[in-house]
Amino acid sequence: METQTKTNENSANNTASLHVSGQGHGELLQLVSFHIGGEEFGLDILRVQEIIRIQQLTRVPNSPDFVDGVINLRGKVIPVIALRKRFGLEDLAHDKQTRIVVIEVKGTVLGFIVDSVSEVLRIPADTVEPPPRLGKVEREYVSGVGKLDDRLLILLDVDRLMTDAEDLTSAVA
Amino acid sequence: MENEFLQDPTLIQEFLVESEELLQRMDQDMVTLETTPKDEELLNRIFRALHTIKGTSGFLGFESIIRLSHRAEDVLSELRKGELQLTQRMMDALLKTRDQLGIMLSDIRQGGLKEYSIDSLVAELEAVRYPDEIKEPLGEMPVADGSLEPATLEGAFQEQATDSPDQKLGELVVEKKLASPAEAGTAPMRQGQAESGTGPGAGAQTMRVDVRKLDELINLLGELVLERNRLARITSDLSLGRLSGEDLYSALSRTSARLSFITEELQSAGLKTRMVPIETVFRKFPRLVRDVAHTLLKEVELQVLGQDTELDKTIVELIGDPLVHLVRNSLDHGLELPDVRANAGKPRQGTIRLEAQQEGDHIVITVADDGAGIDPERVLRKAQERGLVTAERARLLTPRETLDFIFLPGFSTVEKATDLSGRGVGMDVVRSNLKRMNGTIELDSRLGKGTTVRLRLPLTLAILQVLLVQVADEIYGLPLRSIVETTQVQKNDLHWVEGLEVLRLRGKTLPLLRLAHMFATKLAEDADSDQKVVILAVGDKRVALMVDHLIGQESTVIKPLGSYLHNCPSIAGATISGDGRVRLVLDPAGLLASAQGNVSQGSVQ
Repeated sequence: METQTKTNENSANNTASLHVSGQGHGELLQLVSFHIGGEEFGLDILRVQEIIRIQQLTRVPNSPDFVDGVINLRGKVIPVIALRKRFGLEDLAHDKQTRIVVIEVKGTVLGFIVDSVSEVLRIPADTVEPPPRLGKVEREYVSGVGKLDDRLLILLDVDRLMTDAEDLTSAVA
Repeated sequence: MENEFLQDPTLIQEFLVESEELLQRMDQDMVTLETTPKDEELLNRIFRALHTIKGTSGFLGFESIIRLSHRAEDVLSELRKGELQLTQRMMDALLKTRDQLGIMLSDIRQGGLKEYSIDSLVAELEAVRYPDEIKEPLGEMPVADGSLEPATLEGAFQEQATDSPDQKLGELVVEKKLASPAEAGTAPMRQGQAESGTGPGAGAQTMRVDVRKLDELINLLGELVLERNRLARITSDLSLGRLSGEDLYSALSRTSARLSFITEELQSAGLKTRMVPIETVFRKFPRLVRDVAHTLLKEVELQVLGQDTELDKTIVELIGDPLVHLVRNSLDHGLELPDVRANAGKPRQGTIRLEAQQEGDHIVITVADDGAGIDPERVLRKAQERGLVTAERARLLTPRETLDFIFLPGFSTVEKATDLSGRGVGMDVVRSNLKRMNGTIELDSRLGKGTTVRLRLPLTLAILQVLLVQVADEIYGLPLRSIVETTQVQKNDLHWVEGLEVLRLRGKTLPLLRLAHMFATKLAEDADSDQKVVILAVGDKRVALMVDHLIGQESTVIKPLGSYLHNCPSIAGATISGDGRVRLVLDPAGLLASAQGNVSQGSVQ
């Protein structure tokens, strides 16, 4: 309970997207880390369904800007969202490193295009700090910043990201 | 009353599925029993059904169900032994019991039994067993009657049944009917709808599937495994260098042909498991017709044909309400009172025909009556009064076109208010329901002869025939059923009229949409001649869609795009193409709507 509160404070009111393992002090967050535009992000490992290579997208006409298209995930059609566009970064040609991180957000399976996926990380929960002012990524989508040695990891709040996306979608209509 | 089995949702689910089926069956059986009261087999079946429900309820601890079904069982048991003669009052009480049981079951489905005031119903079941003694006193039982009323939907119908002697029934109903004829007619209707079992909160949906269908499915799966093994063999032979060139080709093409055959079979077998006979929908109609006919004092024979016709479960669930509307319309507005019919030289008893039949990949459901028919003159007059059509335009309309006004939303309300005996209550709702199922409705009526309504429905919503078209480097599917024709047009066939691009085709003017513009694709060069155009029909509207290439036809399984993309009205869904890519299927209605969005009221006048 104690730790729960702590994480809560640190991660600016979203524990749901962080998986805490271990007990007492020194518990660890298990994160999948990936890169977008030179910055490293972390996502709770339990939120990630799978990571797949980039594949041919099908464009959906008149869809919201940041929806890059749809793909076939073993017979299921899922929308794919370019995080770069979502963050207002310029487009980057897909290459061998480009991956799609598949996540379920509020009952919908979505793919997020990232520049590359690096590894699964464990970081101590108490190194997570509330989001500072960030340059390229609007801070609402950030639940905290984790430290690992000299690396900084931006912990992403996908639920929030997509809530705003929905608002955007309705605005388009 | 609490019982450990109550905690077991699987048992309760099974109980509900079984009992609901039994009740549906019972409904039909009871109405049949009314015409053939001596049919022992029928009687036994009803008795057994009730007995089963009672038995399982006892096991699960549903006390009120036990109590009620026990009383009804008493009545049936004496009927079986020949100690009682079936009377209409008895049948009403039994039917009411059945309805009450239906309500209880659906309450269980929605969370649990509630409190029911079933005392008067129990008393009624008692009373019908001793008709001579109770007949008079029961007439003075308004208190008991009143206590029961709020608990159920039955309203007018119930009062009618409880208010004793048969000879008074007519007057009574007329009195009540004059007060609120519409309600008296709709009460049993609403009841029927409440029972249809498609209620909300039904949790995980289950359905019963014929074991033979599952066997076929599993059989095909076995064959699929064989083909997979064969493919694995070919791969290993290939790697060992045992297969090459011509042999490899023939081995692969044989396997691929077998695979495509099996998957096609598998697809259709899989879909077949979702198919249920339309009987499940038709079953409630004998009862419904009986009840409404009684209330309206009409004599009706219901003919039900083609009950074995199979339809996709989704469609079966959606078609129930529109059919109830139509049958009700026939009963209420179509069929005349017996005396009126006799005066017109028709048999006193009216006929309603409910028929299902398969035509290609469609199902046609017909609701026909031999009633008064719809007077086009009156419809036209109404339409003019409401300003829907001008006098000179009205003169040009064919009788059939005139009848189309009935489908306009709100048209019915006016009819009702002025008490014109045309139909139209909710016809717009019927039509829009059908549209949702990709079905169509046709209405044919002859004054004095009767009205026939034909509903055309796709067999299944799952498989779709599409025409593949290409714009720039993108390929889209267009539902084949919406395509009237494909053609090539020349530049001088295209014109601009009031800011709208139109196509002149054989003397007709059609609005023209350029898919490339609408979807902002990388623009292909506008060719000067031989431009491909697909003519789409949406309802009675036509629209021309210009594309770069026509590729071919394909049957596909359509998948939804998901919630984040629901704001793309021109897209109906997606399919997976042969190379594994997602291909979008367009929605002609959406295309037209977005085109009209720019134009609005272009051709409505």
